[in-house]
Amino acid sequence: MIWVETVVNGMLYGGLYGLLGVGLALIVGVMRVVNLSHGEFIVLSAFIGVSLSGMLPWVYPLALLLPVAIIAFGLGFLLQAALVNRVVTRPDPFASILLTFGVAVVMRNLMVEGFGADPRNIPSGRLAHASLAIGGLSVGVLPVFILALSVALFTALQLVLTRTRFGRIVRATADNRDVVRLMGVNPGRVYNAVMGLSLALASVAGMLLAMRSSFTPYSGVERLLVAFEVVVLGGLGTFWGAMAGGIVLGVAELLGLRFDPNAGPLYAHLLFLAGVLLRPNGLFRART
Amino acid sequence: MTLLEVERLEAFYGDFQALFGLSMRVEAGETVALIGANGAGKSTFLRCLVGLLDDKRGAIRFAGQPIDREPAERISRLGLSLVPEGRLLFPSLTVEENLLMGALNERPGSWTLRRVYDLFPVLAERRRQMPNALSGGQQHMVAIGRALMSNPRLLLCDEISLGLAPVVVDQIYQSFARIRSEGASIVLVEQDVKRASTAADRLYCLLKGRVTLEGSARRIGLDQLSRAYFGA
Repeated sequence: MIWVETVVNGMLYGGLYGLLGVGLALIVGVMRVVNLSHGEFIVLSAFIGVSLSGMLPWVYPLALLLPVAIIAFGLGFLLQAALVNRVVTRPDPFASILLTFGVAVVMRNLMVEGFGADPRNIPSGRLAHASLAIGGLSVGVLPVFILALSVALFTALQLVLTRTRFGRIVRATADNRDVVRLMGVNPGRVYNAVMGLSLALASVAGMLLAMRSSFTPYSGVERLLVAFEVVVLGGLGTFWGAMAGGIVLGVAELLGLRFDPNAGPLYAHLLFLAGVLLRPNGLFRART
Repeated sequence: MTLLEVERLEAFYGDFQALFGLSMRVEAGETVALIGANGAGKSTFLRCLVGLLDDKRGAIRFAGQPIDREPAERISRLGLSLVPEGRLLFPSLTVEENLLMGALNERPGSWTLRRVYDLFPVLAERRRQMPNALSGGQQHMVAIGRALMSNPRLLLCDEISLGLAPVVVDQIYQSFARIRSEGASIVLVEQDVKRASTAADRLYCLLKGRVTLEGSARRIGLDQLSRAYFGA
Protein backbone atom coordinates (compact mmCIF):
# COMPACT_ATOMS: atom_id res chain seq x y z
CA MET A 1 0.00 0.00 0.00
CA ILE A 2 2.79 2.39 0.84
CA TRP A 3 4.17 1.93 -2.68
CA VAL A 4 0.83 2.82 -4.26
CA GLU A 5 0.71 5.88 -2.04
CA THR A 6 4.18 6.84 -3.18
CA VAL A 7 3.24 6.50 -6.84
CA VAL A 8 0.11 8.61 -6.33
CA ASN A 9 2.04 11.32 -4.47
CA GLY A 10 4.71 11.23 -7.17
CA MET A 11 2.08 11.78 -9.83
CA LEU A 12 0.62 14.66 -7.87
CA TYR A 13 4.02 16.36 -7.48
CA GLY A 14 4.79 15.62 -11.11
CA GLY A 15 2.35 18.34 -12.15
CA LEU A 16 4.72 20.80 -10.52
CA TYR A 17 7.66 19.50 -12.55
CA GLY A 18 5.46 19.80 -15.62
CA LEU A 19 4.89 23.47 -14.83
CA LEU A 20 8.65 24.00 -14.46
CA GLY A 21 9.16 22.55 -17.90
CA VAL A 22 6.27 24.06 -19.80
CA GLY A 23 7.59 27.61 -19.51
CA LEU A 24 10.90 26.48 -20.98
CA ALA A 25 9.11 24.52 -23.73
CA LEU A 26 7.04 27.58 -24.61
CA ILE A 27 10.16 29.71 -25.19
CA VAL A 28 11.88 27.00 -27.22
CA GLY A 29 8.76 26.47 -29.30
CA VAL A 30 7.98 30.10 -30.01
CA MET A 31 11.41 31.71 -30.39
CA ARG A 32 13.91 28.82 -30.58
CA VAL A 33 15.74 30.20 -27.56
CA VAL A 34 16.94 28.06 -24.66
CA ASN A 35 16.55 30.25 -21.61
CA LEU A 36 19.39 29.24 -19.28
CA SER A 37 18.24 31.77 -16.69
CA HIS A 38 14.88 29.97 -16.33
CA GLY A 39 15.98 28.35 -13.05
CA GLU A 40 17.23 31.63 -11.55
CA PHE A 41 13.89 33.29 -12.27
CA ILE A 42 12.13 30.39 -10.55
CA VAL A 43 14.31 30.93 -7.49
CA LEU A 44 13.87 34.70 -7.63
CA SER A 45 10.09 34.20 -7.65
CA ALA A 46 10.41 32.10 -4.51
CA PHE A 47 12.48 34.85 -2.84
CA ILE A 48 9.86 37.40 -3.81
CA GLY A 49 7.27 35.07 -2.28
CA VAL A 50 9.31 34.76 0.94
CA SER A 51 9.72 38.53 1.15
CA LEU A 52 6.03 39.17 0.52
CA SER A 53 4.94 36.65 3.12
CA GLY A 54 7.39 38.26 5.56
CA MET A 55 5.87 41.68 4.90
CA LEU A 56 2.30 40.40 4.95
CA PRO A 57 2.35 37.63 7.59
CA TRP A 58 -1.45 37.55 7.87
CA VAL A 59 -1.83 36.63 4.19
CA TYR A 60 -2.06 32.93 3.47
CA PRO A 61 1.00 31.92 1.34
CA LEU A 62 -1.07 30.35 -1.44
CA ALA A 63 -2.81 33.70 -1.92
CA LEU A 64 0.58 35.11 -2.92
CA LEU A 65 0.77 32.92 -6.03
CA LEU A 66 -1.11 35.40 -8.18
CA PRO A 67 0.79 38.57 -7.19
CA VAL A 68 4.13 36.76 -7.57
CA ALA A 69 3.05 35.45 -10.99
CA ILE A 70 2.17 38.98 -12.07
CA ILE A 71 5.56 40.27 -10.90
CA ALA A 72 7.26 37.37 -12.74
CA PHE A 73 5.34 38.24 -15.90
CA GLY A 74 6.68 41.80 -15.66
CA LEU A 75 10.25 40.54 -15.11
CA GLY A 76 9.98 38.23 -18.12
CA PHE A 77 8.62 41.03 -20.25
CA LEU A 78 11.54 43.28 -19.23
CA LEU A 79 14.15 40.52 -19.73
CA GLN A 80 12.88 39.95 -23.25
CA ALA A 81 12.45 43.60 -24.21
CA ALA A 82 15.77 44.78 -22.76
CA LEU A 83 18.04 41.85 -23.62
CA VAL A 84 16.83 38.73 -25.40
CA ASN A 85 15.17 40.56 -28.30
CA ARG A 86 18.61 41.90 -29.24
CA VAL A 87 19.91 38.42 -30.01
CA VAL A 88 16.79 36.44 -30.91
CA THR A 89 16.98 37.20 -34.63
CA ARG A 90 20.59 36.05 -34.96
CA PRO A 91 20.96 32.83 -36.91
CA ASP A 92 23.43 31.22 -34.51
CA PRO A 93 21.93 29.95 -31.24
CA PHE A 94 25.06 30.72 -29.21
CA ALA A 95 24.23 34.40 -28.81
CA SER A 96 21.06 33.68 -26.87
CA ILE A 97 22.64 30.83 -24.91
CA LEU A 98 25.56 33.03 -23.81
CA LEU A 99 23.25 35.91 -23.00
CA THR A 100 20.87 33.90 -20.81
CA PHE A 101 23.81 32.10 -19.19
CA GLY A 102 25.26 35.51 -18.29
CA VAL A 103 21.93 36.68 -16.92
CA ALA A 104 21.79 33.53 -14.78
CA VAL A 105 25.26 34.12 -13.31
CA VAL A 106 24.54 37.77 -12.55
CA MET A 107 21.17 36.95 -10.97
CA ARG A 108 22.60 34.16 -8.82
CA ASN A 109 25.22 36.49 -7.38
CA LEU A 110 22.77 39.35 -6.88
CA MET A 111 20.48 36.98 -4.99
CA VAL A 112 23.33 35.86 -2.71
CA GLU A 113 24.13 39.52 -2.14
CA GLY A 114 20.53 40.51 -1.50
CA PHE A 115 19.05 37.53 0.33
CA GLY A 116 22.08 35.69 1.71
CA ALA A 117 23.04 32.07 1.06
CA ASP A 118 20.97 30.47 3.87
CA PRO A 119 18.33 27.93 2.90
CA ARG A 120 14.81 29.37 2.99
CA ASN A 121 11.34 28.06 2.49
CA ILE A 122 7.85 29.43 2.24
CA PRO A 123 5.78 28.34 5.24
CA SER A 124 2.72 26.50 4.03
CA GLY A 125 1.21 26.06 7.50
CA ARG A 126 -1.06 23.17 8.29
CA LEU A 127 -1.64 22.43 4.61
CA ALA A 128 1.85 20.93 4.30
CA HIS A 129 0.93 18.06 6.60
CA ALA A 130 -2.79 17.74 6.02
CA SER A 131 -3.81 14.59 4.24
CA LEU A 132 -6.91 12.95 2.89
CA ALA A 133 -7.81 9.30 3.17
CA ILE A 134 -9.04 8.16 -0.23
CA GLY A 135 -9.91 4.47 -0.54
CA GLY A 136 -7.45 3.50 2.16
CA LEU A 137 -4.68 5.67 0.67
CA SER A 138 -3.28 8.65 2.49
CA VAL A 139 -2.86 11.51 0.04
CA GLY A 140 -1.49 14.95 0.92
CA VAL A 141 -3.83 17.91 0.48
CA LEU A 142 -1.08 20.15 -0.85
CA PRO A 143 -0.04 17.69 -3.60
CA VAL A 144 -3.67 17.34 -4.70
CA PHE A 145 -3.99 21.11 -4.84
CA ILE A 146 -0.72 21.33 -6.79
CA LEU A 147 -1.86 18.82 -9.40
CA ALA A 148 -5.26 20.47 -9.76
CA LEU A 149 -3.61 23.86 -10.20
CA SER A 150 -1.11 22.47 -12.74
CA VAL A 151 -3.85 20.86 -14.79
CA ALA A 152 -5.88 24.09 -14.67
CA LEU A 153 -2.88 26.16 -15.81
CA PHE A 154 -2.02 23.69 -18.59
CA THR A 155 -5.60 23.75 -19.82
CA ALA A 156 -5.72 27.53 -19.68
CA LEU A 157 -2.45 27.81 -21.62
CA GLN A 158 -3.72 25.39 -24.23
CA LEU A 159 -6.99 27.31 -24.63
CA VAL A 160 -5.22 30.65 -24.86
CA LEU A 161 -2.89 29.32 -27.56
CA THR A 162 -5.54 27.57 -29.65
CA ARG A 163 -8.68 29.67 -29.19
CA THR A 164 -7.71 33.31 -28.83
CA ARG A 165 -6.48 36.00 -31.17
CA PHE A 166 -3.35 36.33 -29.05
CA GLY A 167 -2.71 32.59 -29.35
CA ARG A 168 -3.12 32.76 -33.10
CA ILE A 169 -0.54 35.53 -33.29
CA VAL A 170 1.87 33.55 -31.08
CA ARG A 171 1.56 30.42 -33.24
CA ALA A 172 1.96 32.42 -36.44
CA THR A 173 5.03 34.19 -35.06
CA ALA A 174 6.51 30.81 -34.08
CA ASP A 175 5.91 29.61 -37.66
CA ASN A 176 7.50 32.58 -39.40
CA ARG A 177 8.58 35.76 -37.73
CA ASP A 178 9.14 37.63 -41.01
CA VAL A 179 5.76 36.91 -42.55
CA VAL A 180 3.81 38.08 -39.49
CA ARG A 181 5.45 41.48 -39.93
CA LEU A 182 3.63 41.71 -43.27
CA MET A 183 0.42 41.52 -41.24
CA GLY A 184 1.42 44.38 -38.96
CA VAL A 185 2.69 42.21 -36.09
CA ASN A 186 5.87 43.24 -34.29
CA PRO A 187 7.50 39.89 -33.36
CA GLY A 188 9.49 41.49 -30.53
CA ARG A 189 6.29 42.47 -28.73
CA VAL A 190 4.90 38.97 -29.10
CA TYR A 191 8.12 37.59 -27.62
CA ASN A 192 7.87 40.00 -24.66
CA ALA A 193 4.45 38.66 -23.76
CA VAL A 194 5.49 35.03 -24.29
CA MET A 195 8.55 35.38 -22.04
CA GLY A 196 6.33 36.99 -19.42
CA LEU A 197 3.91 34.06 -19.65
CA SER A 198 6.75 31.54 -19.45
CA LEU A 199 8.16 33.06 -16.26
CA ALA A 200 4.72 33.55 -14.72
CA LEU A 201 4.08 29.79 -15.07
CA ALA A 202 7.57 29.04 -13.74
CA SER A 203 7.04 31.35 -10.77
CA VAL A 204 3.97 29.38 -9.66
CA ALA A 205 6.06 26.22 -9.76
CA GLY A 206 8.89 27.99 -7.94
CA MET A 207 6.61 29.13 -5.11
CA LEU A 208 5.06 25.70 -4.67
CA LEU A 209 8.47 23.99 -4.71
CA ALA A 210 9.60 26.41 -2.02
CA MET A 211 6.66 25.27 0.12
CA ARG A 212 7.71 21.67 -0.29
CA SER A 213 11.43 22.01 0.36
CA SER A 214 13.96 24.70 1.10
CA PHE A 215 15.97 26.56 -1.51
CA THR A 216 19.04 28.80 -1.75
CA PRO A 217 20.21 31.29 -4.40
CA TYR A 218 22.08 28.35 -5.94
CA SER A 219 18.98 26.20 -6.44
CA GLY A 220 18.36 27.59 -9.91
CA VAL A 221 20.61 25.02 -11.57
CA GLU A 222 18.63 22.11 -10.09
CA ARG A 223 15.37 23.73 -11.16
CA LEU A 224 16.67 24.25 -14.68
CA LEU A 225 17.88 20.65 -14.81
CA VAL A 226 14.43 19.36 -13.90
CA ALA A 227 12.84 21.70 -16.43
CA PHE A 228 15.19 20.42 -19.14
CA GLU A 229 14.48 16.79 -18.28
CA VAL A 230 10.76 17.40 -18.37
CA VAL A 231 10.92 19.11 -21.73
CA VAL A 232 13.23 16.58 -23.36
CA LEU A 233 11.40 13.59 -21.89
CA GLY A 234 8.04 14.95 -23.00
CA GLY A 235 9.25 15.79 -26.49
CA LEU A 236 10.40 19.31 -27.38
CA GLY A 237 7.65 21.84 -27.84
CA THR A 238 4.69 19.72 -26.73
CA PHE A 239 2.82 20.98 -23.69
CA TRP A 240 0.93 17.89 -22.56
CA GLY A 241 4.11 15.94 -23.20
CA ALA A 242 5.82 18.24 -20.69
CA MET A 243 3.07 17.50 -18.17
CA ALA A 244 3.43 13.75 -18.70
CA GLY A 245 7.23 14.02 -18.53
CA GLY A 246 6.89 15.88 -15.23
CA ILE A 247 4.65 13.18 -13.79
CA VAL A 248 7.05 10.42 -14.86
CA LEU A 249 9.94 12.23 -13.18
CA GLY A 250 7.92 12.95 -10.04
CA VAL A 251 6.98 9.29 -9.62
CA ALA A 252 10.57 8.17 -10.26
CA GLU A 253 11.93 10.59 -7.69
CA LEU A 254 9.53 9.63 -4.90
CA LEU A 255 9.86 5.91 -5.61
CA GLY A 256 13.63 6.30 -5.57
CA LEU A 257 13.48 8.08 -2.22
CA ARG A 258 11.27 5.38 -0.76
CA PHE A 259 13.68 2.73 -2.00
CA ASP A 260 16.80 4.55 -0.86
CA PRO A 261 16.25 7.64 1.35
CA ASN A 262 19.70 9.04 0.54
CA ALA A 263 19.26 8.92 -3.22
CA GLY A 264 17.79 12.42 -3.70
CA PRO A 265 16.70 12.90 -7.29
CA LEU A 266 19.17 10.26 -8.53
CA TYR A 267 16.51 7.84 -9.77
CA ALA A 268 14.67 10.56 -11.65
CA HIS A 269 17.92 11.46 -13.44
CA LEU A 270 18.62 7.78 -14.22
CA LEU A 271 15.12 7.40 -15.63
CA PHE A 272 15.71 10.47 -17.75
CA LEU A 273 18.95 8.99 -19.06
CA ALA A 274 17.19 5.75 -19.94
CA GLY A 275 14.36 7.69 -21.58
CA VAL A 276 16.74 9.69 -23.77
CA LEU A 277 18.62 6.55 -24.82
CA LEU A 278 15.47 4.58 -25.65
CA ARG A 279 13.20 7.32 -27.03
CA PRO A 280 15.45 10.18 -28.24
CA ASN A 281 12.46 12.11 -29.63
CA GLY A 282 10.59 12.13 -26.34
CA LEU A 283 8.16 9.71 -24.79
CA PHE A 284 5.13 11.41 -26.21
CA ARG A 285 5.54 12.69 -29.70
CA ALA A 286 2.78 15.01 -30.83
CA ARG A 287 2.38 18.23 -32.71
CA THR A 288 1.76 21.46 -30.85
CA MET B 1 -2.66 59.68 -58.85
CA THR B 2 0.66 57.93 -58.39
CA LEU B 3 0.33 55.26 -55.70
CA LEU B 4 3.87 53.93 -55.64
CA GLU B 5 7.00 55.73 -56.72
CA VAL B 6 10.44 54.18 -56.58
CA GLU B 7 13.56 56.16 -57.46
CA ARG B 8 17.08 54.83 -58.00
CA LEU B 9 16.65 51.89 -55.65
CA GLU B 10 19.76 49.90 -54.76
CA ALA B 11 19.65 46.80 -52.58
CA PHE B 12 22.37 44.70 -50.98
CA TYR B 13 22.83 41.28 -49.39
CA GLY B 14 26.07 41.85 -47.54
CA ASP B 15 28.71 42.55 -50.22
CA PHE B 16 26.44 41.46 -53.01
CA GLN B 17 24.46 44.16 -54.78
CA ALA B 18 21.13 42.90 -56.14
CA LEU B 19 19.47 46.08 -57.45
CA PHE B 20 21.21 48.88 -59.37
CA GLY B 21 19.27 52.16 -59.44
CA LEU B 22 15.86 50.76 -60.16
CA SER B 23 13.02 53.23 -60.77
CA MET B 24 9.35 52.48 -61.30
CA ARG B 25 5.86 53.77 -60.52
CA VAL B 26 2.35 52.37 -60.14
CA GLU B 27 -0.70 54.57 -60.72
CA ALA B 28 -3.85 54.08 -58.68
CA GLY B 29 -6.06 51.39 -60.22
CA GLU B 30 -3.30 50.06 -62.45
CA THR B 31 -2.01 46.53 -62.86
CA VAL B 32 1.72 46.44 -63.47
CA ALA B 33 3.69 43.36 -64.43
CA LEU B 34 7.29 42.85 -63.41
CA ILE B 35 8.97 40.25 -65.57
CA GLY B 36 12.47 38.90 -65.74
CA ALA B 37 14.50 35.73 -65.53
CA ASN B 38 15.61 34.02 -62.33
CA GLY B 39 17.93 36.26 -60.35
CA ALA B 40 16.84 39.45 -62.08
CA GLY B 41 15.97 40.98 -58.70
CA LYS B 42 12.16 40.80 -58.82
CA SER B 43 11.69 39.23 -55.41
CA THR B 44 14.39 41.42 -53.91
CA PHE B 45 12.53 44.43 -55.23
CA LEU B 46 9.29 43.31 -53.55
CA ARG B 47 11.13 42.62 -50.30
CA CYS B 48 12.44 46.20 -50.39
CA LEU B 49 8.94 47.59 -50.92
CA VAL B 50 7.38 45.80 -47.95
CA GLY B 51 10.30 46.56 -45.65
CA LEU B 52 11.74 43.07 -45.20
CA LEU B 53 15.08 44.14 -46.65
CA ASP B 54 16.81 46.90 -44.72
CA ASP B 55 20.08 47.20 -46.61
CA LYS B 56 18.95 49.54 -49.37
CA ARG B 57 19.42 53.03 -50.82
CA GLY B 58 17.10 55.21 -52.85
CA ALA B 59 13.58 56.57 -52.37
CA ILE B 60 10.30 54.67 -52.06
CA ARG B 61 7.09 56.69 -51.70
CA PHE B 62 3.72 55.07 -51.11
CA ALA B 63 0.67 57.35 -51.49
CA GLY B 64 3.05 60.29 -51.24
CA GLN B 65 4.65 59.11 -48.01
CA PRO B 66 8.31 57.99 -47.84
CA ILE B 67 8.44 54.37 -46.63
CA ASP B 68 12.01 53.31 -47.37
CA ARG B 69 13.04 53.63 -43.71
CA GLU B 70 9.82 52.25 -42.23
CA PRO B 71 9.70 48.76 -40.67
CA ALA B 72 7.59 46.08 -42.35
CA GLU B 73 4.87 46.08 -39.68
CA ARG B 74 4.23 49.81 -40.23
CA ILE B 75 4.26 49.56 -44.03
CA SER B 76 1.61 46.83 -43.97
CA ARG B 77 -0.70 49.13 -42.04
CA LEU B 78 -0.44 51.70 -44.84
CA GLY B 79 -2.05 49.24 -47.24
CA LEU B 80 0.82 47.49 -48.99
CA SER B 81 0.28 43.75 -49.00
CA LEU B 82 2.46 40.94 -50.31
CA VAL B 83 1.55 37.46 -51.55
CA PRO B 84 5.01 36.01 -51.01
CA GLU B 85 6.79 33.61 -53.32
CA GLY B 86 6.19 30.06 -52.12
CA ARG B 87 3.04 31.31 -50.33
CA LEU B 88 4.57 31.12 -46.83
CA LEU B 89 1.34 30.24 -45.08
CA PHE B 90 1.41 29.53 -41.35
CA PRO B 91 1.46 25.71 -41.08
CA SER B 92 0.20 25.63 -37.46
CA LEU B 93 -2.88 27.70 -38.28
CA THR B 94 -6.04 26.53 -40.02
CA VAL B 95 -7.05 28.02 -43.35
CA GLU B 96 -9.45 30.39 -41.65
CA GLU B 97 -6.90 31.39 -39.00
CA ASN B 98 -4.42 32.13 -41.79
CA LEU B 99 -6.97 34.42 -43.41
CA LEU B 100 -7.71 36.14 -40.10
CA MET B 101 -4.00 36.96 -39.69
CA GLY B 102 -4.41 39.26 -42.68
CA ALA B 103 -7.14 41.21 -40.91
CA LEU B 104 -4.93 42.01 -37.90
CA ASN B 105 -3.99 45.50 -39.00
CA GLU B 106 -7.69 46.40 -39.08
CA ARG B 107 -7.68 48.51 -42.19
CA PRO B 108 -11.23 49.49 -43.16
CA GLY B 109 -12.49 48.23 -46.50
CA SER B 110 -14.74 45.81 -48.28
CA TRP B 111 -12.72 42.60 -47.87
CA THR B 112 -14.00 40.28 -45.14
CA LEU B 113 -13.88 36.54 -44.54
CA ARG B 114 -17.21 36.22 -46.38
CA ARG B 115 -16.02 38.14 -49.43
CA VAL B 116 -12.86 36.04 -49.62
CA TYR B 117 -14.96 32.86 -49.43
CA ASP B 118 -17.18 34.28 -52.21
CA LEU B 119 -14.08 34.81 -54.32
CA PHE B 120 -12.63 31.36 -53.62
CA PRO B 121 -15.58 29.11 -52.61
CA VAL B 122 -13.34 26.07 -52.16
CA LEU B 123 -11.67 27.76 -49.18
CA ALA B 124 -14.99 27.95 -47.33
CA GLU B 125 -15.27 24.17 -47.52
CA ARG B 126 -11.73 23.75 -46.22
CA ARG B 127 -11.67 26.51 -43.63
CA ARG B 128 -10.98 24.16 -40.70
CA GLN B 129 -8.16 22.26 -42.43
CA MET B 130 -4.45 22.87 -42.14
CA PRO B 131 -2.87 24.52 -45.18
CA ASN B 132 -0.59 21.54 -45.86
CA ALA B 133 -3.68 19.43 -46.58
CA LEU B 134 -4.59 21.74 -49.49
CA SER B 135 -3.45 21.57 -53.12
CA GLY B 136 -0.89 24.07 -54.36
CA GLY B 137 -3.53 26.16 -56.10
CA GLN B 138 -5.72 26.26 -53.02
CA GLN B 139 -2.73 27.29 -50.92
CA HIS B 140 -2.19 30.18 -53.34
CA MET B 141 -5.80 31.17 -52.84
CA VAL B 142 -5.24 31.26 -49.08
CA ALA B 143 -2.15 33.42 -49.56
CA ILE B 144 -4.05 35.84 -51.80
CA GLY B 145 -7.04 35.85 -49.45
CA ARG B 146 -4.77 36.53 -46.48
CA ALA B 147 -3.27 39.51 -48.29
CA LEU B 148 -6.71 40.80 -49.31
CA MET B 149 -8.02 40.64 -45.73
CA SER B 150 -5.88 43.69 -44.94
CA ASN B 151 -7.79 45.67 -47.60
CA PRO B 152 -4.63 46.66 -49.45
CA ARG B 153 -4.35 49.66 -51.74
CA LEU B 154 -1.57 47.81 -53.54
CA LEU B 155 -1.38 44.04 -53.80
CA LEU B 156 2.04 42.58 -54.65
CA CYS B 157 1.94 39.04 -56.08
CA ASP B 158 5.21 37.15 -56.30
CA GLU B 159 5.27 34.29 -58.85
CA ILE B 160 1.78 33.04 -58.18
CA SER B 161 1.68 30.84 -61.29
CA LEU B 162 4.83 28.95 -60.34
CA GLY B 163 4.27 25.20 -60.18
CA LEU B 164 0.52 25.33 -60.80
CA ALA B 165 -1.61 23.69 -63.48
CA PRO B 166 -2.64 26.19 -66.20
CA VAL B 167 -6.35 25.76 -65.36
CA VAL B 168 -5.69 26.78 -61.77
CA VAL B 169 -3.60 29.74 -62.87
CA ASP B 170 -6.48 30.88 -65.11
CA GLN B 171 -8.81 30.70 -62.15
CA ILE B 172 -6.48 32.79 -60.00
CA TYR B 173 -5.94 35.36 -62.76
CA GLN B 174 -9.70 35.66 -63.17
CA SER B 175 -9.93 36.73 -59.53
CA PHE B 176 -7.81 39.81 -60.31
CA ALA B 177 -10.73 41.49 -62.06
CA ARG B 178 -12.75 41.27 -58.84
CA ILE B 179 -9.80 42.46 -56.76
CA ARG B 180 -9.31 45.48 -59.01
CA SER B 181 -12.99 46.34 -58.95
CA GLU B 182 -12.69 46.66 -55.16
CA GLY B 183 -10.17 49.43 -55.77
CA ALA B 184 -6.78 47.76 -55.31
CA SER B 185 -3.83 48.21 -57.65
CA ILE B 186 -1.76 45.12 -58.43
CA VAL B 187 1.89 44.40 -59.10
CA LEU B 188 2.43 40.99 -60.68
CA VAL B 189 5.80 39.36 -60.66
CA GLU B 190 5.87 36.71 -63.35
CA GLN B 191 8.16 34.48 -65.36
CA ASP B 192 5.34 33.69 -67.75
CA VAL B 193 5.73 36.70 -70.06
CA LYS B 194 2.64 36.09 -72.15
CA ARG B 195 0.34 35.78 -69.18
CA ALA B 196 1.82 38.86 -67.56
CA SER B 197 1.43 41.03 -70.62
CA THR B 198 -2.21 40.10 -71.13
CA ALA B 199 -3.13 40.71 -67.49
CA ALA B 200 -1.24 43.98 -67.02
CA ASP B 201 -1.66 47.58 -68.19
CA ARG B 202 2.05 48.28 -68.15
CA LEU B 203 5.10 46.17 -67.68
CA TYR B 204 8.69 46.47 -66.55
CA CYS B 205 11.35 44.02 -67.60
CA LEU B 206 14.22 43.45 -65.17
CA LEU B 207 17.65 42.08 -65.96
CA LYS B 208 20.42 41.73 -63.39
CA GLY B 209 18.94 44.33 -61.06
CA ARG B 210 18.19 46.96 -63.73
CA VAL B 211 15.09 47.93 -65.69
CA THR B 212 15.80 47.06 -69.32
CA LEU B 213 12.38 47.87 -70.74
CA GLU B 214 9.19 49.58 -69.64
CA GLY B 215 5.97 50.53 -71.36
CA SER B 216 2.38 49.74 -72.16
CA ALA B 217 1.87 45.99 -72.09
CA ARG B 218 -0.07 46.06 -75.37
CA ARG B 219 2.48 48.04 -77.37
CA ILE B 220 5.62 46.15 -76.54
CA GLY B 221 6.54 43.61 -79.23
CA LEU B 222 7.65 40.11 -78.40
CA ASP B 223 11.12 40.39 -79.92
CA GLN B 224 11.71 43.67 -78.14
CA LEU B 225 10.70 41.94 -74.93
CA SER B 226 12.88 38.89 -75.43
CA ARG B 227 15.92 41.15 -76.01
CA ALA B 228 15.18 42.96 -72.73
CA TYR B 229 14.51 39.67 -70.94
CA PHE B 230 17.67 37.86 -72.01
CA GLY B 231 19.89 40.90 -72.56
CA ALA B 232 20.85 39.73 -76.02
